[in-house]
Amino acid sequence: MTDATGGRLLVTGATGFLGRRQVRRLLDGGWSVRALLRPGTDPASVPEWAEDLASGRLEVAHASFSDAGQLRSALDGIRVVLHLAASKSGSAAAQVANTVVGSEQLYQASLAAGTSRFVLVSSFGVIGASQVARGGLIDEQVPMEAQAERRDPYSFAKHRQEALAWKYHRERGLPLVVVRPGAVFGPGGSIMGPRIGLRLFGLFLHLGGGCTLPLTYVDNCADAIVQAGVVPGIEGETFCVVDDDLPTSRQVLRRYRREVAPIGFVPVPFFALRQLAGVNEWYSAKTSNHLPAVFTPYKVDAMWKGHRYSNAKAKARLQWSPRIPMDDAIGIALRALAASSGGRHGA
Amino acid sequence: MKVAIVGCGQFADAHIQEVRRIPGATVVAVCDLNPHMAEQAATRLQVPGRYTDLSNMLDEARPDVVHVTTPPASHLAIGRMLAARGVHAYIEKPFTSTLAEAEELVDLAMRAGVLLCVGHSYAFDSAFLRLREQHAAGALGDVVDVQASMGYNLAGPFGAAMMGDPTHWVHQLPGGLPHNNISHPVSLVMPFLVDEHPAVVSRGMRLRRERYHDIRDAFFDELRVTIAGARTTASIRFTCAARPVQLFCTVTGSAAQATASLDGRSLHLTTGAPLPGPFARVQWTYRAHQQTRRELWRHVKGLAQARLHFFEGLHELVSRFYLAIDGRGEMPIPMPEAVRAARLIEQIFSACQATGATS
Repeated sequence: MTDATGGRLLVTGATGFLGRRQVRRLLDGGWSVRALLRPGTDPASVPEWAEDLASGRLEVAHASFSDAGQLRSALDGIRVVLHLAASKSGSAAAQVANTVVGSEQLYQASLAAGTSRFVLVSSFGVIGASQVARGGLIDEQVPMEAQAERRDPYSFAKHRQEALAWKYHRERGLPLVVVRPGAVFGPGGSIMGPRIGLRLFGLFLHLGGGCTLPLTYVDNCADAIVQAGVVPGIEGETFCVVDDDLPTSRQVLRRYRREVAPIGFVPVPFFALRQLAGVNEWYSAKTSNHLPAVFTPYKVDAMWKGHRYSNAKAKARLQWSPRIPMDDAIGIALRALAASSGGRHGA
Repeated sequence: MKVAIVGCGQFADAHIQEVRRIPGATVVAVCDLNPHMAEQAATRLQVPGRYTDLSNMLDEARPDVVHVTTPPASHLAIGRMLAARGVHAYIEKPFTSTLAEAEELVDLAMRAGVLLCVGHSYAFDSAFLRLREQHAAGALGDVVDVQASMGYNLAGPFGAAMMGDPTHWVHQLPGGLPHNNISHPVSLVMPFLVDEHPAVVSRGMRLRRERYHDIRDAFFDELRVTIAGARTTASIRFTCAARPVQLFCTVTGSAAQATASLDGRSLHLTTGAPLPGPFARVQWTYRAHQQTRRELWRHVKGLAQARLHFFEGLHELVSRFYLAIDGRGEMPIPMPEAVRAARLIEQIFSACQATGATS
């Protein structure tokens, strides 16, 4: 089977956590895939691709986002682009250089190649969640972050990446569909992310309390991205992707302690976290960044205020629903964590 | 002092933050060929002016000094434009790609009557400045030997970005990655080397696994350099394999030895132990312990008083440079020193290539 328009799908970021599962879901669904890799990346580093490479259902193209010629070749014969690649660490400038500057080259090359669908895998980080009241609903109706520079470098770069994609859609006709996954988890990608808590000076600080987590299991998320690539008539639309039956932070931590490791933790209530963030921001400004403002009240509001999340539009328009139930998905992820750590995994 | 930044990569943030800590200095504009890079720096760091054309920035923002944080291959062209406009420049390391460019750049500045400061900021970290004070005070005696060692993490943020992109500008430098970093240890040994043309022996090795089969596999990840002057020797080690990753400098004199750790921002002076026999062992260790205690207390106070900023050396160097521009101080690094460093760096890499030494 090929995609709806008769060609291969191109997947960027194909060797990443989500990218590998994306390629697998496409191949399992009968599609032909071209994985875009950085120059020098050996496809043999992904052993599960060997059979598909041999059969020709999976192709590999090496291209740098800074090389328009390589991108042109990589896009030859491609009708649908699934753009997953993004920088996840490093300074804000480095992430913008990789994620935004690189993406612009891909937008231009895709237009030149006449692709019929460009799916940008964005992030919940671009949503202006700070401005949504406690208990409010996060969905496609919430405007994009107005002050992305007040969030973390990743959210800032993803915001600029998506904003630029919309500019290309409006002004140049890029056939854009945006998917904004929540926190993607699964084997190989820890469920114990910052929305639940973080380690500091040997302590696990539980920051999430009773907040609902906007989780999406990696295979479910990959399914939604496939649909965004092939369902007709959805250009110019945005889809928030979270699974059903979302757990709270406390519920996931409880299961982690029961099924992986009985870690000790210190609960930090929202009001205390917000006060501490205020002190962090004040101290950083007062001392000319002697300590960086890792926490600010603005960031705390976006992450831990306590929101609700909707996947109604994705289910209705993408004809998608999470195939792996949340309870099972968490179990799979926790078993993988336990197996990788011999039951001694620290969060 | 009106300050502008050209080149909005990740080190521009440090420049903007440190300039803002200097009384009377204001960052008025940023410039980058890529509009997204200029925008991100201006927005995040709240800089009023953003440009993609250097000439326009100079016309409109009219800075007194420009910090050049672009790749080194562009430094000569940018420096030429700044000199022609009578604008002073702080130029990040490496000063230029070649010695010839360094000579031309300094010559242009001198003829234009502007000041250029090479970004050897680690040489102005307080630990190294204290080491130099000890030397100036005669505590070390005559310098016999200097060692500087720099570690590098190829998996760090910059290393990963460079290794992920065969077109990254670092790979275009004659000496590749070590060329981009050797300025740091060179700047630490240079104050103690008075010879204009010391003998240089350099050996490079590649300890990492060949992986890409392109230019990314080409550079040396280990470098050992021996420099011999008439009365002083020096050695420089650049290493990607050694852990912990650190930068330090040890000066051995006729009276004592001192080691400045740029990571610990500490100074340790070794003066020996005059007590006899086994008592010397105790005294030697006791003296080391006393120094460690003093350094610890210094840092505890520094932490409490918010004086342990990461880019302290950059702040100090830029502060002194601005005083020199104002005519209230000497140039912290005289311009000919930038050429001397470029000459030494060129010697290091030409010697390294000449031996063709690889593992």
